[in-house]
Formats: sequence, structure tokens, C-alpha cells
Amino acid sequence: MCSIGDSFDIDMEGKLPVKSYECKSCGNKFKGIGKNVKCPSCQSSDVAES
Amino acid sequence: MEESASSKDISLKESEMLLLRGTAGIVAIVKAGPNGQFFLETENEEIVLGLEPHDLIVASALSVGEKTEKGLKCVLFMVREIRSPLIVLPKNHPASPRLPIVVSAGGKTVLSCNITPGTHPNQDVLCGSNEFDGLEITGTPEGVHVENLPQCEVLKVNFDI
Repeated sequence: MCSIGDSFDIDMEGKLPVKSYECKSCGNKFKGIGKNVKCPSCQSSDVAES
Repeated sequence: MEESASSKDISLKESEMLLLRGTAGIVAIVKAGPNGQFFLETENEEIVLGLEPHDLIVASALSVGEKTEKGLKCVLFMVREIRSPLIVLPKNHPASPRLPIVVSAGGKTVLSCNITPGTHPNQDVLCGSNEFDGLEITGTPEGVHVENLPQCEVLKVNFDI
């Protein structure tokens, strides 16, 4: 998925499949990767790619 | 699953940490666990990292010994249990090559000795000592599947501090 450390040089632009999400519960917009991404604001799983 | 000499399925509980002890480095592995939401903090934004419980958090050290193993456990404990967000340094930051332990989180991690600590040309590649070059670590519902496992000591310890 991604290689990271407490502080780690990471190529965020070209390699990581970062997606933009919008929470349908609270409207929060955020970026995420991986599976079962939840809203970091309200913890809702009702999110959609935007 | 059919296993070759360098391929192995290893059971791993959430309460355990798997150690692969090499001669010049150590790889430590824990399950991501049920609280599968982690955060990557970059210079400009926050990215939510969603993981399944059977996914893995892998830490690699380019040193060996009791102190290194304690450090590996502490780093993994900070990430999984204390929920410490992962701070991402800007590219070419002078601290990057000084990192003694690096971490990878996800379904699969590949170890490479051909990258400098603090860099990763591919998203699932983690730097490690030469002996672990090419090692592939994949999370399974029962534990861990490893490919290209070199001669090394494999043991499980309790994941507590």
C-alpha cells in the first residue's frame, strides 16, 4: 500500500492511488487510500468518491 | 496453498508480533487490527488510509539486537495502538536517510535493498537489509504469507509494551 515511517520521504503525487472522497453524512471532503475508508470527521462509512 | 522452500504461511494473531531476524536487519509484522483507519500527514494535506483487519503493518530496521527489536515494537505500537499519525517528510528532506526504522502498511509489502531508507520507488516497497531483498509479505485472514523468505530466524512474540 504505502511505505512510511514516523517521518518518511514518500512520492505522494505519482505512486499512491489517492482518491478524493465526500462524506454523505456530514459533507466533509477528504482524501483517502485503501479499503473501507471512513470520514475522518464523523467516522461515517457513508462516503463516496468525488 | 502450495509452499516452496522460500514460501511460507505463518499464523499471526492480533496480539502477536512476527519477527524475521536476519544478520543485518530485522523485519517486524503485526496485523492492522479492527480499528482500520490510519492517517498520513503530508506537508499540505491529510490522507485517510483504510485497512482491513487482516492487512499488515510492517516495520523494517537496518540493524539487529534487543534494542532494535524494542524499537520495532514501539514503532508498531505507536502506529497501531496509540494511533499516531504518520508524518511524511517533504521529498529530499535531510532526515530521510537517517531513519533507522521504516514502516509499510497495507495488504502487501515487498522488501528491497536497492532503495535508500526514506525513499520508495513503488508504493508497496519497503527498504530492508540485503538478505531480505525480494521478500514479499502478504496479509491473510489466518496470518501472513511470505514469499522469497531467506534463511533467518522466524519467531512470534507478544505485542505488548
